[in-house]
Amino acid sequence: MIVRATDVPAALEPPVPDRRGPVHWRRWCAAVLAATGATLAAVGAINAAVDPFQQYRVAASHAPRFYALHHRWINPGIAKHAPYQTALIGSSIMESTRNAWIADACGGPAVNLSMPAISAAEIRTLLDTVFAARAPRRVVIVLDFNAFAGTPDERQDSAGPLPTYLYDRNPFNDLPYLLSGTVLKKSIAILAGRRDESFRSDVDAPWFWGDRYRFATSEVLKGLDPDDINARFRQPARALAGMQASFEHNIEPTLKSHPKTEFDLVWPPYSMFVWRDFAQRRQLDVTFDFKRYVARAVGGLKNVAIVDLQPHAEITTDLDLYMDIYHFAPQVNRWMIERTCAGLDRVDAAGAADAEQRLRAELARWRPPATTDTR
Amino acid sequence: MLFNSYEYLIYFLPAAVLGFFAFGERPRWAVRWLVAASLFFYGWWNPAHLPLIVASIAGNFWFAHRVQRSPHRHRWVVTGVAANLALLGVFKYADFILRTLAQTGLMDPVELGLALPLGISFFTFTQIAFLVDVSRDKATEPSFDNYALFVTFFPHLLAGPIIHHSEMMPQFQSTANKRVDWRNVAAGLFLLSIGLAKKVFLADPLVPLVSAGFDHATTIGTLQAWLSALAYTLQIYFDFSGYTDMALGAALIFNIRLPINFDSPYRSLDLRAFWHRWHMTLSRFLREYVYVPLGGNRAGETRVLANLLLTFLLGGLWHGAAWTFVCWGALHGLGLCAVRLWRGTGRTLPAPVAWAVTFLFVVVTWVFFRAHSLGDAWAIVRAMAGLSSSADWASVRALVGGNTAAASALAAGMLVVFQRSNSNALVRSFAGSWMTAVAAAAALTLAVLQLSTVAPFLYFNF
Repeated sequence: MIVRATDVPAALEPPVPDRRGPVHWRRWCAAVLAATGATLAAVGAINAAVDPFQQYRVAASHAPRFYALHHRWINPGIAKHAPYQTALIGSSIMESTRNAWIADACGGPAVNLSMPAISAAEIRTLLDTVFAARAPRRVVIVLDFNAFAGTPDERQDSAGPLPTYLYDRNPFNDLPYLLSGTVLKKSIAILAGRRDESFRSDVDAPWFWGDRYRFATSEVLKGLDPDDINARFRQPARALAGMQASFEHNIEPTLKSHPKTEFDLVWPPYSMFVWRDFAQRRQLDVTFDFKRYVARAVGGLKNVAIVDLQPHAEITTDLDLYMDIYHFAPQVNRWMIERTCAGLDRVDAAGAADAEQRLRAELARWRPPATTDTR
Repeated sequence: MLFNSYEYLIYFLPAAVLGFFAFGERPRWAVRWLVAASLFFYGWWNPAHLPLIVASIAGNFWFAHRVQRSPHRHRWVVTGVAANLALLGVFKYADFILRTLAQTGLMDPVELGLALPLGISFFTFTQIAFLVDVSRDKATEPSFDNYALFVTFFPHLLAGPIIHHSEMMPQFQSTANKRVDWRNVAAGLFLLSIGLAKKVFLADPLVPLVSAGFDHATTIGTLQAWLSALAYTLQIYFDFSGYTDMALGAALIFNIRLPINFDSPYRSLDLRAFWHRWHMTLSRFLREYVYVPLGGNRAGETRVLANLLLTFLLGGLWHGAAWTFVCWGALHGLGLCAVRLWRGTGRTLPAPVAWAVTFLFVVVTWVFFRAHSLGDAWAIVRAMAGLSSSADWASVRALVGGNTAAASALAAGMLVVFQRSNSNALVRSFAGSWMTAVAAAAALTLAVLQLSTVAPFLYFNF
């Protein structure tokens, strides 16, 4: 149907003349509200009882399902309900760290709460969730430089939305979880024993991906332009002032307000390609400036140690330990945790300067393999 | 607070309704309750902006009294309108002006970086209209409570409809309206369920098709460009008209009838008809407070055309501080000038041709409204004209195949837009049958279950 211009109707016109009494309309409203309310209550009850993302309890009546696509939905539940004394927080590079490795090295029980593309703001949110649930004995935070890019509240778009309502203790804002159609589908799949979306059920390694990828120089070189390394990764540029502001806003307050918890701030061993990329993008100085700043900022805190694994050339130049320039093999994760909790590679402000010199020297020496030199 | 959020639908709206009717025997308290609830609704997103809206209401109430009582009423109304425009200018347009000056080399780059308060365009325009009406002796309001409710009443506060004092105050003042009218509650629920369904099932699923084109404007081909432009045409309609339905529905539960904002605009046979049916309360505002004061139809033909163009340039700028909106407004202004000149010839087009020309014009101009920049808009329009070198049949097939929900929403949206009764007509014929009860309950339930992937209403940006 198509129409010609007419005068503008001024107001919503009322329904047809009311030939029915108020009882009819009241019944209509009651029927709609009761049907809607009852159905939603039933959905909420099913989701609360099955609790597919483990927000109210650790899965006991069924094998837990750790859906990679819903990592940010499940992690707060683990942070709240899993039993642990040591927590590991990092980005995707730390996901392939087994809880048992952390427990063996640092004292157990332990939990790995790492999330892909985690930002400093998300680390803060996760730390708040952890400390609202318990006071862990030790927290290992693996610091990614990119997590401090942008403003203090900045997150990577690719990480998708962060369901902040799951990270707090307010039960009244859980409706997006309890009344979610997506969660209902997961609940029904669990009740029916169906697999709907890929997931792991290994409580010891919920987010482990190291068994699904190949670690080799050829993988690292795949699609890499040695003259423009960042073309493949598109990582943002960072400024020292922004990184400092982010650290002050997101990390420092937790370190200071929980003096009885030991914190290890770990600089992870990226491959030498990452440092070469930083040099290409003029990000080298800002990176080292930030490392020196962090050493100074936490220097007076007795409960905080900085662990610098970046000058370990035997790791960072062995590209067979990597799947790309950032992500290393699970044995490196284990090595990192063991060295961290053994108290090795700790640096203070002076040690940070020394580590920087060694890393700069190694970078000057290192020659990347030719792109045809793949094994 | 979003209309399509759990906190609004499950907590806020029921509490606001119950409180309002609980105070029904004491009308002044019912009004105060609704003002408090509306301010809570407004402050939910950013409480820091509450003082701004409160100051704006108090300031305009004071200006209205000065206009009424002072012998220099013209001076006071001009000052009041200027103060409103200054507020809008600082929060909405200052950075745009500074950026433009910097781009033209007239000054160094500097930005205020102020966050845009929600709904500022809507509550500012509502109050400008009130001041002008007071100066014309068309409105008067002695009660601050009633005035505050007129401005803040939450169903219209964030994205309209833009209301007139004269159409609202008798409703707010009516004691009878403070008592439950189950027929209005039923019709309100019915309309609210229609609006929510439009937003959740027809507008939001179209996002992938829209983004696929507008986020890659310079690399898309002809088919992709048309698909994205058409998807956006439907998205913005269902999003905004869905929001309006929810606003009208919520208001009706309180026995308040807001003005309608949409009346099947995409079925229009010319652009003039389109603007009588699209965002009707903005059209009304622009006509009464911009076009007519400029001289309207009373001047010579050249002046009338200039007035039309200027009115729509301002209408474009009202939507946002960006050249894309200015360009969109200018195109519609020029389109309306062309329609006026064509009508002057006395010739008519066959209805299907007139409809096609109008609809295509609207689709193409939406590109300027949605594009990230004028360069992007131009790239998409060039692609729509077949001037893109990208071959895109395979990518479009993959896009549609990978987004069956979006493709279904597109098809269903076309059907609803062109073949089905609009929500105004559905409410007019609403008789409270069991079929409508089942449909409303199903729509509300299924929509609520989809809300956890919340997308904000597009018109909150304006």
